[in-house]
Amino acid sequence: MDTIKMDLSDPYYYQQWKKLIENEGLYIENLDDITETIGIYDEDKLIATGSYFNNVLKYLAIDQEYQGGNVFNKLVSYLISNLASQNIFHVFVFTKTQYQSSFEYLGFKMVAKSRFSTLLETGDYSIDQYISELPKVSGNNISAIVMNANPFTLGHRYLVEEAAKQSDMVYVFVVSQNASLFKTSERVELVKAGTKDLKNVVVITGGDYMVSFVTFPSYFIKSRSDVVTYQTELDAQVFKRIAKSLNITKRFVGEEPYSPTTEIYNQSLKKILAPEIVLEVLKRKEIDDDIISATKVRQAIAEADLETIGKYVPKTTFDFIKMNLKDLLRRINNGN
Amino acid sequence: MEIKHTALAGTLESSDVQITLSEGKGISIDLDSQVEKQFGKQIKKVVTDLLAKYDISDVKVHVVDKGALDCTIKARLIAAIQRATDTQNEQNWGVLG
Repeated sequence: MDTIKMDLSDPYYYQQWKKLIENEGLYIENLDDITETIGIYDEDKLIATGSYFNNVLKYLAIDQEYQGGNVFNKLVSYLISNLASQNIFHVFVFTKTQYQSSFEYLGFKMVAKSRFSTLLETGDYSIDQYISELPKVSGNNISAIVMNANPFTLGHRYLVEEAAKQSDMVYVFVVSQNASLFKTSERVELVKAGTKDLKNVVVITGGDYMVSFVTFPSYFIKSRSDVVTYQTELDAQVFKRIAKSLNITKRFVGEEPYSPTTEIYNQSLKKILAPEIVLEVLKRKEIDDDIISATKVRQAIAEADLETIGKYVPKTTFDFIKMNLKDLLRRINNGN
Repeated sequence: MEIKHTALAGTLESSDVQITLSEGKGISIDLDSQVEKQFGKQIKKVVTDLLAKYDISDVKVHVVDKGALDCTIKARLIAAIQRATDTQNEQNWGVLG
């Protein structure tokens, strides 16, 4: 048996790969979410394949005739070694629930489980370690908000303020995936700067565990709505696990009239978090009958329209944008 | 010796073992093995003895055993240690005794 890297832009490999993937009942979402693909061959026949995107294994499929043997171990082992050679040691996999134990035999541990799928991880980091590193606070009434804040607007500020009024303590988790116009470090700093006066607010990054390419790829890559549903239910389960260990009893989200993906997300959260954690949906803040959104701010940045930006963001964010306008425009032109 | 960064050695194939070393406080060993009941103690002993020979006292060890013999475990662990301590080119023959 030979193991090779498969170039899916080559129709020869793509056809073999597609056939095996589809025979195993997997749905090909989008080739953009694959970093690398490997194939195991028996003579000329492709008998197993697996891919990864960043640190997430995906599209694992083994020909019926070769299942139940050593091929699965060989496949996963090869993918993990490949990632290790790029210094990626913390590896995730999304899988159907019936394959959970196969991965557990290979040292993977469950992060969370929904009715559709299981998320497992292995390597040099874990959700338990992430939880142990989070600042612990005391209080009876602890709440949380998860935001991308790309960038931090008056709408975000309103959400945090309301949560702070209603809670002893508020954790603000900032999405740490670097896939937005504003870099992760900038987004975190702007959230911190914009909430500095609120003494009962703790700002932390969400790591791989909150709305990331791992838990919720379709937040970043357009996907079908059923895919969004299964991803959001899993993301909600991951959040629930973290929230329970921090004694969080409420999560605040903004109402989502425009984005269908976020609307599905809110529905999944409501369903999964109950009964231990209450989902509080707040009406969006309006200015001059106009809902504030980070999308509008980014559009205004693209048009270098400082006046409009000033209407939607707090001074701290405004000053940052003004100072870095050229750089932001350059990022937009480069397709970010 | 000090673990400088995470390193991995070995595979998940039958009769092999995959070992990941990363920075930690004290020695902690996380062992996954289908034969843990019979050989868990022995596998951990092989690991801790060898770590002691390298004078490593702070490390997180993840061992995924697929039925490896002691000599295989040692070989994989030595490779992982050398990678994690950036000493691939400095053979320490003394530890093989």
